[in-house]
Amino acid sequence: MTKTNPASDISYEDARAALTEVVKSLEAGGISLEESLALWEKGEQLAATCRVWLEGAQNRLDSAPE
Amino acid sequence: MTLQTSPEEPAPLRQIARILNDYIGRLGSIWVEGQIAQLRRRPGAQQYLTLRDTDEQFSVSVVISAAALDAVTPAIEEGQRVVVFAKPEYWASQGTLHLRAREIRPVGVGTLLEQLERLKQVLTAEGLFSPDRKKPLPFLPQRIGLICGRAAAAKDDVLVNSRLRWPGVSFEVREVAVQGVSCVTEVTEALAELDALAQVDVIVIARGGGSFEDLLPFSNEALIRAVSGCHTPVVSAIGHEQDSPLLDLVADLRASTPTDAAKRIVPDVSEELRAIAQLQQRGHRVVSNRVEQDTRFIDESRRRIRSTITSRVQHGLVEIDQLSARVRALSPAATLDRGYSIVQHAGVVVRDPQEVPMLGELRIRVARGELTATRTKDES
Repeated sequence: MTKTNPASDISYEDARAALTEVVKSLEAGGISLEESLALWEKGEQLAATCRVWLEGAQNRLDSAPE
Repeated sequence: MTLQTSPEEPAPLRQIARILNDYIGRLGSIWVEGQIAQLRRRPGAQQYLTLRDTDEQFSVSVVISAAALDAVTPAIEEGQRVVVFAKPEYWASQGTLHLRAREIRPVGVGTLLEQLERLKQVLTAEGLFSPDRKKPLPFLPQRIGLICGRAAAAKDDVLVNSRLRWPGVSFEVREVAVQGVSCVTEVTEALAELDALAQVDVIVIARGGGSFEDLLPFSNEALIRAVSGCHTPVVSAIGHEQDSPLLDLVADLRASTPTDAAKRIVPDVSEELRAIAQLQQRGHRVVSNRVEQDTRFIDESRRRIRSTITSRVQHGLVEIDQLSARVRALSPAATLDRGYSIVQHAGVVVRDPQEVPMLGELRIRVARGELTATRTKDES
């Protein structure tokens, strides 16, 4: 997708799976503040990657003739 | 009796004439069948006619009394088949031979029909009329052999109607006697001639309708056998529809009339063109239907793909928003939102100033981003 995204070499499915893992880890609790901070940041980045993917797909659909 | 003669001791003619008269006289009275080739009534007690064989070119003069000839009703005509009771005579003063007839009987239609039926049975048994002997006609003949009467309507019927159907059609015409004593010979000769021509690939024998006797030559055994032996397919086109001589049975194709023959031997050019145009139309319709159908299928497929992907994308966006919201809720983000900050040094959260050396780099995480700072004072 977009080359500006550092996580762009990862597929949508992988990014989505990783995001789900992040949520699970956060929900499980028992982790340090550093870890939760890192997980949060990672989660934000994965979510952004997924959005770029999906928005790109939507744009391609919109630009294709009916 | 053997006659010894030599150039030095020739026999006088009178002796020969007497011998011939003696020979011929011994034949006695006989019944002879033939066809009247010529009959010219003349005044007088003696009448003369020519009797000819029905199949071959053998003729003989017949002398009959006017009374015996007049006794026959209806009157004997040329071309008629007859049975004659006669005594062969050698007419020594003229050196000619004739039959002196005492009685002449026309061969009745009934007798002729019987003879015809017998011939038909014999030829059928020989397999001459068998369907597997029929040769197929060419779709479009190169050259059509046509046997017909001189300046006959049947000839025009075939020529005109064939040309109407297919203007380029080519003919090889043989005009012959189509009735009477020389009919069989002339038709048979024309047939052999046309059969020998390589270009002629179908032969039509055409004749208009006629009396039963007129059409008899077309049931003649010699003619039927000639047609059967022909290498070129033969079409019979005799008379009107009700006339059915044996030629119809032996021919490779039977046309009801000369006009019908024209229809059978050449295809109708306009009909062919119409058929081709129709096929073209059908082909076009099939292809265009197919294209239309496939276009619909492809459009439908595209729509389904689009709607599936759209729904997946929409679903994905919702899902990502939810996951992202949960990440945020479970993270320290809410705490940061209240104004707290997290200070990190070398990737570790700072809990004690001792953990940070002088000039150590600090990463300060606040709600909407981060700041970088450097420790410059020792407060501890």
